[in-house]
Amino acid sequence: MAVMKSSQDRPVADPLLSCLGPFVSRQAFLHGAVALAAAPLLHVLPGHAGESLEVAEIAPGIFVHQGRYEVQSAENRGDMANASFIVGNDAVAVIDTLGSATVGEQLHAAVRIVTDRPIKYVINSHMHPDHVFGNAAFKADNPIFVGHYKLARGLGSRADRYLGANKQMMGEAVLEGTEIILPTLSVKDKVTLDLGGRTLLLEAQSTAHTDNDLIVTDSQTDTLFLADLLFSVHVPTLDGSIKGWLTLLDSLKDRKAARVVPGHGPHAMELPGALVPEQDYLSTITTDVRGLIKEGKTLEEAVKVAGMSQRDKWKLFDYYHARNVTAAFAELEWE
Amino acid sequence: MTQSTSRLGRLLLSGAVAAVTMLSSSYLAVAEEDSWPSLRQSAFGDRAIAEDGMVILDAPQSAEDAAIVPLTVRVPPSVSQRLKSLTLFIDKNPNPLVAKINFGPAAGTGGERSFSTRVRIDNFSYVRAVLETEDGNLHIANKFVAAAGGCAAMQAKDPDSETVDLGKTLVKTFPPALYANPIWSGQVMIKHPNSNGMQLNINTAEFIPARFVKDVVVKRGGELVFQMESTFSISTNPNFRFTFGKGASNNLDVAITDTDGRVFTAQSTPSGS
Repeated sequence: MAVMKSSQDRPVADPLLSCLGPFVSRQAFLHGAVALAAAPLLHVLPGHAGESLEVAEIAPGIFVHQGRYEVQSAENRGDMANASFIVGNDAVAVIDTLGSATVGEQLHAAVRIVTDRPIKYVINSHMHPDHVFGNAAFKADNPIFVGHYKLARGLGSRADRYLGANKQMMGEAVLEGTEIILPTLSVKDKVTLDLGGRTLLLEAQSTAHTDNDLIVTDSQTDTLFLADLLFSVHVPTLDGSIKGWLTLLDSLKDRKAARVVPGHGPHAMELPGALVPEQDYLSTITTDVRGLIKEGKTLEEAVKVAGMSQRDKWKLFDYYHARNVTAAFAELEWE
Repeated sequence: MTQSTSRLGRLLLSGAVAAVTMLSSSYLAVAEEDSWPSLRQSAFGDRAIAEDGMVILDAPQSAEDAAIVPLTVRVPPSVSQRLKSLTLFIDKNPNPLVAKINFGPAAGTGGERSFSTRVRIDNFSYVRAVLETEDGNLHIANKFVAAAGGCAAMQAKDPDSETVDLGKTLVKTFPPALYANPIWSGQVMIKHPNSNGMQLNINTAEFIPARFVKDVVVKRGGELVFQMESTFSISTNPNFRFTFGKGASNNLDVAITDTDGRVFTAQSTPSGS
């Protein structure tokens, strides 16, 4: 896959950015879509302690780091989700901080290569460790930590267990410095954050992927950050409500945006096509599980067969799918 | 609680103490020592317990979701005796006693009998089913379960919606494939957080009080199928599937009591007729 190098029609808002080499034009982006998303645009050395993460500028002032399609390990240090930052005239907002303070620091370093403007906001899209465990790396910037109003309860009550499980998977050394930092600004409905020249609209969602999902929209570039409401390539993980999630996806079909950033998947994708595979996955589970419940089958039986037609369409399917079916079954059997 | 709970009642209490102690102990340290000998002693004293195949425990080797681990206990058709009780343990849980089921006259004989529920498993642990047959003998089945991703083990995914529907109870019956089969199956499910008292309310920095289903009585036409004492090791929205003996009427009456003293009752809708 070729790295795209067209840069002539791309106005760079921040002079600091122009020294960073080739950018892709908006047009090339729209044509390249998913293919582009896999191509690293900003060449930054991939991670070792003290260095910075690779990020791509997917639209003016919007930088996305693409996480690996893996579960957390000592080797990947919790770098298995997408994280973004948005540079305004006055300030920077970070969306998600990845899965450890170690990798969070490398994300911080990536921000600092791009801009020295203050990091005013750290937004956590939801409570999962691969999105919030890097928060401590931003503490010295004294940002406002922002999250869904139910995030604090969800993460607060799971904190010890999240830390314990992640220590088992990544080791103590990687989690050195990691701490649970809960939001200081809670979003109950909508909140707008001003970065100077652009605003971010934060919208709290009803229970879907979790009970504390937040959607962020950048006003300037019409970029929609769906976080883990959108999985691509990486199998979706259900920790909220399958019915709620499908309802939300349905409502997003009418939404217009120049691009969407998934929580796991390529750097950027287009609506509404980006949603289709995930909708298929969740609908298949729903249909299968409803049928099995109607036949009087048990949870154990359902886990073996429901949604298996989706198996070769996703990475990490064997790791998460049975858990998804379990959660779906426990929800749908109440219908 | 009934007279049969003296030993188990003490175990329940000691479990509550263990739950509090565990909060200050490290997540990993709990997995080490073998607690079964002392558990067994406190529940059954010096009585012999045979691992003789008269009870079979089905549990996943590794839990997909440690908050909802399906357990099924089966008594093979070759066992013809009536059943007296079934006790479930998860060694490493804050309260290792999951439930004690006392069977009644409507529990049935003459085919494979089974009891299924879903449990929370806090850490890698042995799960044990101890069956007491009518002759007073004890039989055991053990299974080691690796609880992968136990991080969410003690929480409801959507606590607010659980609170809204609290107490909603469904009772279903499933007639056997062959009408001549004297064993039916039934299912009881209740919307209940079954909270364990170990979660901090981060707004008040106080522990959310434990509230869980502690007693379930299932009757078929006025006759007891089983009575169960249970703990918060049962998953959120407790769910039980069980067999019972075919009767003149196969409708079930269910009464569920939680630790707040709330009683929830429900009946099966006539089915299979």
